[in-house]
Amino acid sequence: MIKKINIWYLSSLIISVVVAIPILVIFSSFFENTSEYRIILRETFLVDYIFNSLILLIGVMSLTSVIGIVCSYLISFYDFIGVNFFKWALILSFAIPAYIYSYSLSAFFENYGTAYSILKGIFGEANYNHYIPKPDGILGAIIALSFSIFGYVYVLTGLSFRYQSQNLIDLGKNLGFSKKKTFFKIILPAARPSIVAGLSLVAMETLSDFGSVSFFGVSTLTTGIYNAWITFDDLTLAYRLSFYLLIFIFGLLILENISRKKAQYHSPTKDSFEIKNKIKLFGYKSAFAFIFCFFIFFISFMFPLLQMGYWTYLFPKYLFELNLINLISNTLILVFFSCCLLITFGILSNYGNRITKSKFLQSLTTFSISGYAIPGVILAIAYISFISFLDENLLQSKNYNIKSLFIGTIFGLIIVYFIRFYSLANNGIKSGYLKINYSIDESAYLLGYSKIKTFNKIHLPYLKNSIFLVIILLLIEIVKELPITLIMRPFNFDTFATIAYAYASQDLLEAAAAPAIILILISSVFILITSRFILKDQT
Amino acid sequence: MKKILIISCFLFFFPNFTFANELNIFTSRHYDSDIQLYEKFTSITGIKINIISGEDAALEKRMIEEGKDTKADLYITADAGRLGLFDKKGMFQNSISPIIKAKVPENFRSDNWTGIAKRARIIFYAKDRVSSDEIKNLRYEDLSKPNWKNRITIRQSNSIYNQSLVASLISNNGIAKTEEWVNGFVKNFARDPQDNDRGQILAVASGEADLAIANTYYYALMLSGQKGKDQQEAAKKVTPFFPNQNDRGAHMNISGAGVLKTSKNHENAIKLLEFLLTKESQEHIVNNTFEYPIVENIEPNKLIKNTSLGNNFIQDLKTPVKEYSIFQEEALKLMLKAGWK
Repeated sequence: MIKKINIWYLSSLIISVVVAIPILVIFSSFFENTSEYRIILRETFLVDYIFNSLILLIGVMSLTSVIGIVCSYLISFYDFIGVNFFKWALILSFAIPAYIYSYSLSAFFENYGTAYSILKGIFGEANYNHYIPKPDGILGAIIALSFSIFGYVYVLTGLSFRYQSQNLIDLGKNLGFSKKKTFFKIILPAARPSIVAGLSLVAMETLSDFGSVSFFGVSTLTTGIYNAWITFDDLTLAYRLSFYLLIFIFGLLILENISRKKAQYHSPTKDSFEIKNKIKLFGYKSAFAFIFCFFIFFISFMFPLLQMGYWTYLFPKYLFELNLINLISNTLILVFFSCCLLITFGILSNYGNRITKSKFLQSLTTFSISGYAIPGVILAIAYISFISFLDENLLQSKNYNIKSLFIGTIFGLIIVYFIRFYSLANNGIKSGYLKINYSIDESAYLLGYSKIKTFNKIHLPYLKNSIFLVIILLLIEIVKELPITLIMRPFNFDTFATIAYAYASQDLLEAAAAPAIILILISSVFILITSRFILKDQT
Repeated sequence: MKKILIISCFLFFFPNFTFANELNIFTSRHYDSDIQLYEKFTSITGIKINIISGEDAALEKRMIEEGKDTKADLYITADAGRLGLFDKKGMFQNSISPIIKAKVPENFRSDNWTGIAKRARIIFYAKDRVSSDEIKNLRYEDLSKPNWKNRITIRQSNSIYNQSLVASLISNNGIAKTEEWVNGFVKNFARDPQDNDRGQILAVASGEADLAIANTYYYALMLSGQKGKDQQEAAKKVTPFFPNQNDRGAHMNISGAGVLKTSKNHENAIKLLEFLLTKESQEHIVNNTFEYPIVENIEPNKLIKNTSLGNNFIQDLKTPVKEYSIFQEEALKLMLKAGWK
C-alpha cells in the first residue's frame, strides 16, 4: 500500500478531494436543522414538485432521444440532399444555451410577441393571440431544454453508428432482416452504451437546470431549492434537496450499469471498420429525410439565432454599446486558465490511475460527476460556504486570510469551473487513454523509457486530438456558463453571458440579444472548427 | 523583470485588493442608467466605483460568507423585504445621514437602509370587460370576492413583489383575514400563475384575463416602445388603476440600499447615497427606469405623467416598507397553502 503512494497517487487523490467539496458541503446539511419550510413543502407542493421534475426529465429525455437518434441514424446510414451539411450543422445547437433558447421561445410565442407581429405583418390587424400556441410552463421548459441539449445524444449516437461493425449489419441482411428489424435488433442495441452516455448527460443538465425552469415558472424540485434558500433562508434544506437530486441521478446511473452488466459490448478495433456504402435515398424518402433534419436544424439553431438577430436589427444600439475587446479578453482569460488547469490535472489523474491501477482512485473520480449534476448556483454557494468554514474554523487563529484569495477572484472562479467541468475534461481524456493499449506502455518500459518519457513520446501524441476536443468543449461551456460566473466573479468583470443576463433580468430581452448573438457566434465558430473531430472520433 | 511579472500575475489573479478612494457596490439592479449615474459620481468626487451585479440571494450569501473580509461597501437591491432581512442578519450599519433623513420619507427607510426609488404594484384592467361599478373604489381586499372568479392574472408566489404585497396585507389586516383573502383570491385566477409582470398586462390586453396585478414600470416600459410597436399598442388597450385610494393607498415598494457593517469606505458609500437622492440623479432614475422618485417634488417620467399612471395617486404611506421583511415568510406560507403556484 505504502509503495503505491507516489506522486501520481497523491495528485489524483488531491483532485478527487477538491472535486468532492460540494458533495461534502451538501452532505453536511444532514447534520443541521432546517426551517419549517420542510414541513410546509411536504404538506403543500412537494409531491407536485417531484412530479413536475419527473415529467420534465421524462419529456426531455424522450424528445432528445427521438431527435438525436433519428437524426444520427438518417445521417449515418443514408445519403440524401444536404446530408453533408446537416452532419455538422446539427451540432451547432450546442452553441445555444438553454436560457437563451427560453428567451427566444417565450418572446416569439407570447401575447403580442414576434409571432403576433409576423401574422399582423402578413394578414393585417386582428387579435391573433388566441390562435398562437403558448409553449409556456412545463412544455416550454421541455422544448427549450431538449433543443439546446439533444446534441449530446446526436453526437454520441452518431459516433457509435458510424463505427459500428459493418459485419454485423451485413449479417443481419444475410439473415433476411428488414431495415426496420436491422435497426431495432442490431444497430440500436449495439449503440446503447453511447445513447445512454448521451442521455445521462441530458438527464444531469435537465435536473440541474435553474435558468429555463424558473424562466417558464415551472415548479420543480429546483423551485423548492430556491424557495427554501431565498424566502425561508434555509440553505440547509436547499442543500438536502440538491442531495436528493444527486442521489437520484446516481441511482439512474447505477441502474443502467446493472442492466448493462448482462450484455457485453465490444467496441470494434480499428481493423473492423469498413467504409459503409450509404444507402442513397430518392424522391419522397429523400425529401422526408431532408425535411426532418432541416426542421430540427431550424428549430434548434436558426430559430433562436433569428429571434436574437431580429432584435439586434431592431435595436442595434445595444450591439454598439458592448465593450467587445473587454468581453472577449475576459472570456479568453477564463477559458485559457481553466483549460490549462483542467487539462493538466485531467492528464495527471488519468495517468495516475493508469500507472497505479488503483480501484480506490477510480471510484473516487466518479464523484467528479457531481460537478455536473448539482445546479451551478448551489455548487458555487457550497464552495463559498466551504472556504468560509475553512477560514473561520481552521485558519483564523493562524492569521491566514484565504477568503480574499478564493472568493471574488478570477482564481476562485476558475476553481469552481474546475469542479464543475472536471468530469468533462477527465472523461474526454479518459476516452483518449482507453484507445492506448497497456501493452504499448509495457513495450516502452522494456525499451528503457522512463515513465515521463513514455508519457511524452507515446501517450501525448495519441492524446493530442482528445485534448484538443476537450479544450473546445470547455470553451463552449465556459462561454455559455452563467450562474457560477455571476456569483463568483470579481468586481467589474463581465462576460457575454452576464451581460445578457443583466438585460434579461430588466425584462429587456431585446437588449440581451446583442451579447447573446455574439456568444452564439463565438461558440459556433469553434464548433465548426472542431466538427470534424467531434464527428470523426479520434482514432 | 521576473519580479514585475510575478507581481503583475498576482494582481491579475487576485484583484480583490482595494485602494484608497474607492467604493465597492454589490447590486441586483442591472440598469445601464445606474452605471451612468455612478460614472457621473466618479467624475464629480473622484471616487472610483467597482461593481458586482447578480441575483440578490446569491450576492447576499456571498457577502455573509465573506464576513468581515468582504470588500462590499454598499448593497443595492429592489425590494424592501430583502433589505430588511439582510439587515436583520446584522449586515448593515447605520447609514442614515441627516441629508438622507431629510430627503427620504420615514416610511421608505429604516435606521440602516434607505429607499432610492419607488415602485407601485397596482391593477391593470380591460375597460371593455370590467364595469365602472366594479372598478370604482376597488381595494386589494376586494379581489378575493366571487365576482372576480376566473378573471385575475398575477405571477407566481415565489415572486418577491407578490410576497411583499401579501406581507403588506398581513401588516394591515392580520394573518387570519389575509389567509381568508388569499384563499379567495387564488380561486379567482384566470390561468396558472406564470410569466413576469409584463406577461400579466399582455394577458389582459389579449383577453386571457380581465385584471392583472403588476408593477407600474413594466407598463411604462411597454409604452416607451422599447418592447416594440405591437406591445406599445397592447399596453394602450389596458388601463392602470390605483387601488385603495379611499383608505391607505396603493401598495408601494422600493429599490433601496444599505451600507455594510464591515465597509471600509462607509463615508464614500454615504456620499453616493446622498448623490443618488439629488434632484438630477432622481430625475435620471425616473426617466430611465420608469420608477417613481423617492424624493418629493420630482416630476415622474413623461410617459407616466401623461397616462393615468400620473403622480397624483394616494400611496400607501401608512404601512412602513420595513414591515415587509417581518411578514414575507408568513405571506409565502399562506400563498403556498392556498395553492398559489
